[in-house]
Amino acid sequence: MSAPVLTEQAVPPVVPVATGRSWYGYLRQPSAALSVLVLVVMVVMAVFAPLIAAEPAGAGPDVLQSPSGAHWFGTDDLGQDIFAQVVWGTRTSLVIGLAASLIAIVLGTAIGLASAYFRPIDAVATVITDVMLALPTLPLMIMLAAVVNPSVWTLTLIIGFFAWPEVARLIRSQGLVVSAMPYIDGARVLGASGWRIVTREILPAVVSLVIVSVLLTASRAVISEAGLSFLGLGDPDAWSWGRILLNAQRSGVIAIAWWQTLFPSLAILLLVLAATVAGMRFNDTRDPRRNGG
Amino acid sequence: MRKTVKGRWRLAVALGAALSLGISGCSLNEGNGSSSGSTDSSVLRIGTTTDVSNFNPLQSLSKTDSWILNAMYPHLLRIDENAKKAPELAKEYRYEDGGKTAVFVLRDDFKWTDGQPVVADDVKFSAEMIMKYKLGNVAAKLTWVESIEAPDATTVKFKLSQPYAPFAEGVGFWMSIVPKHVFEKAGDLSKFPNDSNWVGAGPFVLDSMTKGQRYVMKRNDNYPLAPGGKAAVSQVEYRVYPDVNTMMLALRNGDIDLMGTPVPVSAAKTFEGDSKIKMVKVGALGFAHLTYNMKNKYLADQDVRQALSMAVDTKSIISAVLQGDGQQMAGPISPIFSDYDNTEIQPYPFDPAGAKTKLTAAGYKDGNGDGFFDELSFGVACDQSNANITRVVQLFRESAAKAGIKLENECVERNTFLSRTKNGEYDIDASQWGVFDNPMDQLRSTYLSSNPGGINYNLLESPEMDQLINDAAGTTDAEAFKVKIKNIDKVVHDQAYLTPLYVENFQFAYNASKFTGFVPSPSDLLGMVTAYSLAQVTPVK
Repeated sequence: MSAPVLTEQAVPPVVPVATGRSWYGYLRQPSAALSVLVLVVMVVMAVFAPLIAAEPAGAGPDVLQSPSGAHWFGTDDLGQDIFAQVVWGTRTSLVIGLAASLIAIVLGTAIGLASAYFRPIDAVATVITDVMLALPTLPLMIMLAAVVNPSVWTLTLIIGFFAWPEVARLIRSQGLVVSAMPYIDGARVLGASGWRIVTREILPAVVSLVIVSVLLTASRAVISEAGLSFLGLGDPDAWSWGRILLNAQRSGVIAIAWWQTLFPSLAILLLVLAATVAGMRFNDTRDPRRNGG
Repeated sequence: MRKTVKGRWRLAVALGAALSLGISGCSLNEGNGSSSGSTDSSVLRIGTTTDVSNFNPLQSLSKTDSWILNAMYPHLLRIDENAKKAPELAKEYRYEDGGKTAVFVLRDDFKWTDGQPVVADDVKFSAEMIMKYKLGNVAAKLTWVESIEAPDATTVKFKLSQPYAPFAEGVGFWMSIVPKHVFEKAGDLSKFPNDSNWVGAGPFVLDSMTKGQRYVMKRNDNYPLAPGGKAAVSQVEYRVYPDVNTMMLALRNGDIDLMGTPVPVSAAKTFEGDSKIKMVKVGALGFAHLTYNMKNKYLADQDVRQALSMAVDTKSIISAVLQGDGQQMAGPISPIFSDYDNTEIQPYPFDPAGAKTKLTAAGYKDGNGDGFFDELSFGVACDQSNANITRVVQLFRESAAKAGIKLENECVERNTFLSRTKNGEYDIDASQWGVFDNPMDQLRSTYLSSNPGGINYNLLESPEMDQLINDAAGTTDAEAFKVKIKNIDKVVHDQAYLTPLYVENFQFAYNASKFTGFVPSPSDLLGMVTAYSLAQVTPVK
């Protein structure tokens, strides 16, 4: 293993608290502002889904209608409105994306920080992380999801459980740099306990990286959820973008009802793109080389 | 400033890439794909969904396997366009000895592809091996056989322990006849893979295969059921398309000439306006149903089952999920068996309010006021790859909620579903029965406590039902037999052991500009690809 200082570029030990000014600087970048706007719209759509469109249910006479004024995104083979399905799908996708990413972040940050500061833990945790990273996650997720009863919560747990190693790896490398800083030695000399040093000194120094990870992990989780639902392993009672795609594929209408695949795909694309761009821009703003700091 | 420009640019590239992906996705179906492979006009290319999992015709239970195997190994009887039994290898059959001996008289002009004639000994051998090793679903149909005799090359006699009315029909239709001189060398037939050097007596015999891609079958130059003594098509090629969308595009693009799988109702529009593609409609030999697990304390209550039956809107399911292309059923006997279907019974009316009243009267309560009866919460298991059934479960869940019954959608991945079905791990089973060739075998497999067919999804153990079924099975008088079947139909309906959903029609699509002359049979197991049908096909000149 390489020396800690070589794993990542040095970062200032200064806690980059998101002050009003830095938020302003962040949002002044058009790509950041746009992606944040998209994320906000998605969240609003998820929260107020019942006000925007009635929950898709039952069967209607307008079967496989192309997009029109009455049905913005067209209808499926049961006559249900695709727009309503996409809006309600936002809920599932966001809930799973966020919850799974929180699981991954909590696990990953804890393991990453522990291994960055406590040497004995590092040896074990690194091996586990490496093994987890080497595992073919998609086949494993498919297997697990097929065995358990598919529901929003089991999916969240499965996706979250397989997403933590990347976070752990990222946090560890940053944590190693920070824990080699003189002020950590200072804290130790002053008699601070290991717990205090990790939670009060190192954690704040990596918190912006955690925020970036939340966004990136969430976008990966959304893709995983859509993928599993498309394979028929999603919650059959919850609308999700993957399920809309599955319905189209299963009923053999992909060739004649482009709207049934295009709109949920666009929604996935928009959400993932927005989360990724927002995360990347955020990472940029805290990069000292860019800020001349 | 430089930074923002770069950011904007990246976003534009990402969006551009996404859009072009979308556009190329759409152009997939514009029919500009070049057709590959053989262009010989007498090669019939058929789309199938999956690889052959078992080449042993005595053992295999898979639908897609049977398409290929049935073209190779003859059966004694076949099912014709009108769902009636017709002669295939057997010229005729009769009962002797008061119904205790079934006699098949074989044709003398069938030949195996290695030159040997197909004789009565082959039939005797096939049946005896099935009984010895308990192979496939035919073993249960041979239960009563005490001995089999082949007095001459064209006569086979099955001696039965008791008369069983539909014995000859069931065995004649289901049992594949294999060449004794080839299969007896294999020893234990339950382990015989039969995956090379095929010898068959059907119109086509497998010649080569590429797993995951194609199965090439060569014409048998001696097939007496084809006009002219052999099929007009020189070669049949099965090509594997796991996804139905891709298969439909392949048909439109001319990569295949016939879809083995039916076209989903929702997708029928795909071929509208395509003058080359023709659709043929056939009936079903099975039906879709909701079956209640009697081991569940609440589902064992007749009132609950009847209430559930009143909470399914079969009419709107047929009009929405099948686009109106299906028939309603009342009891468990499909209307296709018109002699046995009890027309006096009526389907339970769709009446959620009535169901609620019934349950309240039966003592069920909604103590916590959530709109659902406290005890009545069930999981509905289904195979999520079945488009129609998953839609049915979705609609059933919504309509049952109106009757105060909480249902959970447990449509899961196919293999999980099959293993749950096998182990009885479900409350309500929503599925589709593929092929019942006669009502007696159906009732035996679905309601006998001994569960001989393995599809007693009710897990019903009722001495009364056993008695009714066994009594009917031993009845040789045709009229009395009909009356007894109709009575069981009524009992099952009153008990509401199951809620029959619909008998659907299947639509098959083929390229009529290249081939003609298919003789379709009902069901998606038989459809356009029976041995008889393939032997009648001629290329369009």
